[in-house]
Amino acid sequence: MAIITATKTPDRAAPLGERSVIGWIHKNLFSSWFNAILTLLTGYLVFITVTGVFNWGFTDATFVAENRRACYDNSLTGACWAGVIDWLDNIFYGRYPRDQIWRINVGAVLLVLWMAPLWMGRVKGKVLVGTGVVVFYPFLAGYLFSGGDKGLFMQVMVSGAIVALIANTANMLTGVLWGEFLPDFVLRVLGKSTAPDKTQRNILLALLFVVFTAVFVWQLSWTVEFVSWTKWGGLFLTMVISGIGIASSLPGGILLALGRRSKLTVVRVLCVAFIEVFRSVPLITVLFMATTMFPLFMPEGFVLNKLVQVIIAVILFNACYMAETVRAGLQAIPKGQYEAAHTIGLGYWRTTGLIIMPQALKHMIPNIVGSFIGLLKDTTLVSIIGLFDILGMLRSISKDMPWLGLHKEPLIFGAFLFFVLCFSMSKYSRHLEVKLSAGDQH
Amino acid sequence: MTIELTQAQLASAASSEVIIEIVKMNKWYGSFHVLKDIDLTVHQGERIVVCGPSGSGKSTLIRCINALEEHQEGDIIVDGIKLGKNLKNLDHIRTEVGMVFQNFNLFPHMSILENLTLGPIWTRKMSKADAVETAMTYLERVKIPEQADKYPGQLSGGQQQRVAIARSLCMNPKIMLFDEPTSALDPEMIKEVLDVMVELADTGMTMIVVTHEMGFARTIADQVIFMDEGDIVEQSGPTEFFDNPQHERTKLFLSQIL
Repeated sequence: MAIITATKTPDRAAPLGERSVIGWIHKNLFSSWFNAILTLLTGYLVFITVTGVFNWGFTDATFVAENRRACYDNSLTGACWAGVIDWLDNIFYGRYPRDQIWRINVGAVLLVLWMAPLWMGRVKGKVLVGTGVVVFYPFLAGYLFSGGDKGLFMQVMVSGAIVALIANTANMLTGVLWGEFLPDFVLRVLGKSTAPDKTQRNILLALLFVVFTAVFVWQLSWTVEFVSWTKWGGLFLTMVISGIGIASSLPGGILLALGRRSKLTVVRVLCVAFIEVFRSVPLITVLFMATTMFPLFMPEGFVLNKLVQVIIAVILFNACYMAETVRAGLQAIPKGQYEAAHTIGLGYWRTTGLIIMPQALKHMIPNIVGSFIGLLKDTTLVSIIGLFDILGMLRSISKDMPWLGLHKEPLIFGAFLFFVLCFSMSKYSRHLEVKLSAGDQH
Repeated sequence: MTIELTQAQLASAASSEVIIEIVKMNKWYGSFHVLKDIDLTVHQGERIVVCGPSGSGKSTLIRCINALEEHQEGDIIVDGIKLGKNLKNLDHIRTEVGMVFQNFNLFPHMSILENLTLGPIWTRKMSKADAVETAMTYLERVKIPEQADKYPGQLSGGQQQRVAIARSLCMNPKIMLFDEPTSALDPEMIKEVLDVMVELADTGMTMIVVTHEMGFARTIADQVIFMDEGDIVEQSGPTEFFDNPQHERTKLFLSQIL
């Protein structure tokens, strides 16, 4: 017997439990007697923990005091934040000369200024912006932080960095105001938009040369005071090590991953050996090797400073982990993508750069950011080999006479700082994932 | 309609030069002998349909033609160039030979327009404006210009396959290879893809099509090739092939599929 529905069944609203708050609470928290009791019990536990922490950290805490004794005089049951507040400069900047701290702040502001266009929808040439940051910023920041006389190389690189920064900021302005790429804007203003490619290029190069010369002459007129790396410390040092580590371990990891999948046997074997050796050794061992053993292999009189050695160790170690993450991403790309790229005539590097890597990296964003977070936290290990990074600084508070024995508060403060840094990274990675996967459900 | 087409095909096939020549070609996967002493000549403008049971080596055959697979013995000469290990030749061959895959293989991280302009911009060194213009022309030919700014994941299978055809055509290839272009599609979508392919055939494109769509084969093919276990068992014109197959194996295959 045939069943025929003559009229279309109209849509009806979902049951109450699916759409109201009370319905949700009933369904998820109080669905049975047992669950209701569990909910109340958990609520009570959360309540007493939170109030306890709140009382200790805020209500009973001392924020202003001369020393630890004064803290106790004020309140025995509260936290002594006064010690942390007294040491804030040290926690953030280490033993950097107090009258030079502006340099670190300027460095940080410049980085933000430089990277800001990456988040602005209307700004053109994002790849150039990103490359500019990675290639030029380290030189500018490096000189800003360590200072002293500029050699010719540093003079050129610092000038280059300043020119790049100027171009970058101008590009940001033309992008935000007119949605235009800087070179296009310049050519339009000069009325050369329709000139042949070669003329356009020459005009731009000439302009670049003029700006560079001007900046080069200008930068000859100033230097900043030399600050030895031994005075670097605190959050600043942590950010330097992890920043360089993050910026270099990803490209390094990509190269190693490609090497490991290469058809060239020698390249592949070298990459596999490198990756496996570094991955099977703890970071702390690598750090000790880098600072104590590595100089033994170097020619006599060859002295690298400890900070550079540590940074190299961190980069190599993390590049190897990154390589495996990237490789996992590469393996998730179907063979058909390579074949399709080949059939439109793309060679190895273009296939990798335009088709494979963007997809692989996108798949691996959570893992890559996970590695970055791990790297940031791992840099605290350098306090063991005698660098005063943030952890080193936090621990020294308890050895400072006025704050003798003050362990808990600095470490909690450190934990809070790391939480803010790491949590924002992970939030940002989640945001990136959602943004990049838009329109790409398959 | 059918008769006119056939005459046009005969005319084009007869008048033009050889564009693909395969001589005594052999291929092994490990110790498995996939293709055995294949001989095949394709003239410019000729349309060849390859059919056969799965595992007969038909896909492998056309994948050898644009060097996605390496053959071990014999010669493949495409557009006057002998395929081998020389990388420069490879890139040249691949820009002259377009290929459409069973699974479309569009680039999911790029919009339809970017999928289409990528090849012309990077390998044909076309300016972006020209590439976009070409892309839109071909999108109109496959009847989906309005989808240009979407991503592959937002399109139906049939639309994706038409985009894939347009992507290959944007490279302005001399030869188009189709590797079971409709096998992954719902029945409703097969027709829209086949229509596009029939139109393409009308323009005089050299095409080699691996397919199980026998109606399509009858309409457009100049030659039908039947393959089994790595051999070309039978090769003849479509009327001959379907109405009067010679080999037992072909008869069996046709009786099962028709």
